[in-house]
Amino acid sequence: MSQNPDTLVQLQGVSKRFGSVVALDDLDIDIKAGEFVTFLGPSGCGKSTTLRILGGFEKPDTGRVILDGEDVTRLPPNKRKVNMVFQDYALFPHMSVAQNIDFGLELKGMSVSQIEARRQEVMSFLELDEFGSRYPDQLSGGQRQRVALARALAPDPALLLLDEPLGALDAKLRSQVQQELKAIQRRTNTTFFFVTHDQDEALTMSDRIVVMNGGKVEQDGTPEDLYLRPASRFVAEFIGETNLLNGHCLGMEGDEVVIDWLGTPVRARAGGLQPIKGSKVTCSLRLEKLGCVPSRSGSEMGIPAHIANKVFMGSRTAVTVSVDAAPEVLLRAYVDAEMAIGSVGDAVQIDWDSANLALLRQ
Amino acid sequence: MITDVQNQQKQSSVSSLASESGNAGQGPGDRIPFWGRVSGRRGYQALVDFLFASERRQFALLAGIPFIWVLTQHLGPVLQMLYVSFLDAYPVAVGAQTHLTLKHYLLFFEESVYRMPFLRTMTYSFALTFATLVIVYPVAYFLARHVKRQNQLAFLLLLLIPFWVGEIVRTFAIMILLGNNGAVNLLLKSLGFIDRPIPFMYTGFSVSFGVIYLTSLYMLLPLYSALEKIPASYSEAASDLGAGAWTRFRRVTLPLSYEGVASGCTLVFLMSTGFYAAPVLLGGPSTTVFAETIAGFFHVAGDRWPTGAAFACILFLASLTITALFMKFMGRLSSRGRR
Amino acid sequence: MTGKTRILMSLIYAAFVVYVFVPLSMMVVMGFKDSKFIGFPIKSWTLDWYGRVFQDTEVMSVFGYSVLIAIGSTLVSLLIGTWIAVLLAGRKFFGRALIFSLTILPAVVPGIISAIAFRIYARLLGIEPGMMAVIWAHAVHNVPFVVLVIVARLSTMPTNYIEAARDLGADPLVAFTRVTLPYLRPAMIGAGIFCLLLSFDDFVRSYFLGGYQPTLPVLIFSKLRSGMSPEINAISTIVIVLTAVLGVWAERSMRRMNGASR
Repeated sequence: MSQNPDTLVQLQGVSKRFGSVVALDDLDIDIKAGEFVTFLGPSGCGKSTTLRILGGFEKPDTGRVILDGEDVTRLPPNKRKVNMVFQDYALFPHMSVAQNIDFGLELKGMSVSQIEARRQEVMSFLELDEFGSRYPDQLSGGQRQRVALARALAPDPALLLLDEPLGALDAKLRSQVQQELKAIQRRTNTTFFFVTHDQDEALTMSDRIVVMNGGKVEQDGTPEDLYLRPASRFVAEFIGETNLLNGHCLGMEGDEVVIDWLGTPVRARAGGLQPIKGSKVTCSLRLEKLGCVPSRSGSEMGIPAHIANKVFMGSRTAVTVSVDAAPEVLLRAYVDAEMAIGSVGDAVQIDWDSANLALLRQ
Repeated sequence: MITDVQNQQKQSSVSSLASESGNAGQGPGDRIPFWGRVSGRRGYQALVDFLFASERRQFALLAGIPFIWVLTQHLGPVLQMLYVSFLDAYPVAVGAQTHLTLKHYLLFFEESVYRMPFLRTMTYSFALTFATLVIVYPVAYFLARHVKRQNQLAFLLLLLIPFWVGEIVRTFAIMILLGNNGAVNLLLKSLGFIDRPIPFMYTGFSVSFGVIYLTSLYMLLPLYSALEKIPASYSEAASDLGAGAWTRFRRVTLPLSYEGVASGCTLVFLMSTGFYAAPVLLGGPSTTVFAETIAGFFHVAGDRWPTGAAFACILFLASLTITALFMKFMGRLSSRGRR
Repeated sequence: MTGKTRILMSLIYAAFVVYVFVPLSMMVVMGFKDSKFIGFPIKSWTLDWYGRVFQDTEVMSVFGYSVLIAIGSTLVSLLIGTWIAVLLAGRKFFGRALIFSLTILPAVVPGIISAIAFRIYARLLGIEPGMMAVIWAHAVHNVPFVVLVIVARLSTMPTNYIEAARDLGADPLVAFTRVTLPYLRPAMIGAGIFCLLLSFDDFVRSYFLGGYQPTLPVLIFSKLRSGMSPEINAISTIVIVLTAVLGVWAERSMRRMNGASR
């Protein structure tokens, strides 16, 4: 494997079983310094196991973990330049905020004045200045989360692990903390390894998202890649909402594949896939990328359909349409709430830009 | 790989500030805190690395002392007692040979002087355990079901304090209470029920009274914790189905508290068989219990230790057997109640 | 539940409280009686018996001796009990159930049998009857109580406290001393006081292993056998007061544990 100078962490062929359950199956991942990487997936997909292997709390059955050019596979957690923000923060209840932060600094062998300086720096950075003498049970959820972050950042780790750290916060606070966390990551320039099952969290914060399923990587890319160009059906369905279009491959045209969908030839972005002519294929089309206009508007370019259901959602309206060519096929679309789309049973035309129809791996 | 709009510029980061503050203010009086100094020591690190090198070594480190302690200090005395009970003489005289023998056990079956106290101990313990259960159950029930949760601890504490006072002091208290000039006789006399004091002391009554006084807490706590666990909604559900107070208790609460009954009775029974001071102080010649018989062999010069050990083994075995049978019975009772 | 049963139940509770307290209060009252004979009626009151107790060098030295034994045995019980508890509360291993049962064994062996077994085993170990023998017997007997309290406390400790400590650079030893031990502190205080009381009040083991030097309960026992005297009431009253103070302290320590964890 090539050693890129920017690479901070390398997982090479890492596998882990718990009894008969395969948690990780031959995982290969490189993480660059300064990246905000999110491991996303349902529970049991292997994302937490990856995190615990990086932290040193689990030893992989096979494979190697390279951190900063050094093989740390067998190194215990206390000897790694890696710190972690735990799911429920794991703040020591018998220590004040300041003592919690000092804990890691003391064990680095720093002197009293160094510890003092570093603690104040981290605390003012995270706006915790007035909480130094408070105890964890005297803090709110958001404050605890910041203390946990301060405690983990204080020893200046090469890699910061975050194990669903926003799970304990209420929805409103969570979106605010998401922004803060991203800003903190930029300003400290520390590599963040974030684990979550919440796709919104992943999409808003990450530079890069690795979608895991069944101990394997489903897709590895930027949030835009994952959302707009999902590589597999799992990713398309796990992230956001999508329409799945099933058809037969008619052939390739450059980067695009032509598909027979309900008797209509449609074009989809192949994204490097080369389906065999005549084979069954599935494509993903995001709800907001599906155009839907009333038939009476004069544009006869689209595919005819009828409105099957309509739900007003505030800023937009979710419309379910039944395609005329096959009334059992239902597609969903978001339309502007102001638009007079008509009511249930009215005829509509649907269409989309072929760049937004993404061919999925079978 | 992905190259998103990544923030590659090195801003004034926390990490870079760290190295600056690292050099600041390292004056001569600037010491390193204790834990930093300890874990920085090379010798200490080597020791820790050695001790925690492998899972197996960690476990050996953790389990070594407990295993040795439990086997030699907890099991050891019982096994040694069992062993001594089969010796013909102990302590062994210098140069003498010891032989294994059953004669101490046979002695128990031959002499009615020994059998009587044994049977008395068993019947007393059995009857007193039952009496304690009957007396304490309503108290535990009241505590668990009728007292507000936030007050329960205070109500319980009120009863706990006297029970922390030792066996001897409480036995003495019973002696004063039941004495010829004691509070009970005084009360009865002033109420005009009696002219002459009733001799409560040095009888089976005073022993029983004392033993119940000593054991009731050990009945109360298991009963209370079992009853406290039963959700009040069960009783409400039963009453909703038309069950009266007695039916509710008999069909719902009582079966669910069997576990507490079983452990409370076991504890109290085992304790009752082993009391020594209370029967000595409260009882008379007609109430000699087996514990006094056993103790007798240890007050003489020592050559009768094996007999004492054998008798202690008999008592222990009998208590354990009765306890085990009782537990089995309670287990069957509660499983039948469940069905 | 109907109001009638409720009243009946509270009467039963009240009766039980009376039953528990009356004998002890009678005894306390007798300690202030200005007469050598214990019993009613009481004609005049005095504090003489207390003065006598504090001037009685034998009682005072026995008291000190008992306190020493209590402290010594408690320290041993706490050390070993905590160690066993940490083992039992940790990950599963072969034979854990057996070790647990053996741990509890000394608490369920009936008093006289326990005393006899310790007496015999002390000879095997070469411990002469006396202070060391009593400390040893009390320590072994009290270990199960420590284990039960500490195991209960450990079971409430989130495992990620230790992981967090390890993550921040602590080796297993440092993580234990700086995180686990402080977390156990209230439980250890509670268990420790409980051990002090058990040891201080123990009669049967002290009696059989004590040799010629009595502990306080043994002294009271032998005084009682030679006849009752209000001096014993005074000693007992002092014991009750001490016990109550320590007991309430232990209870508070344990209760705080269930609330805030600090």
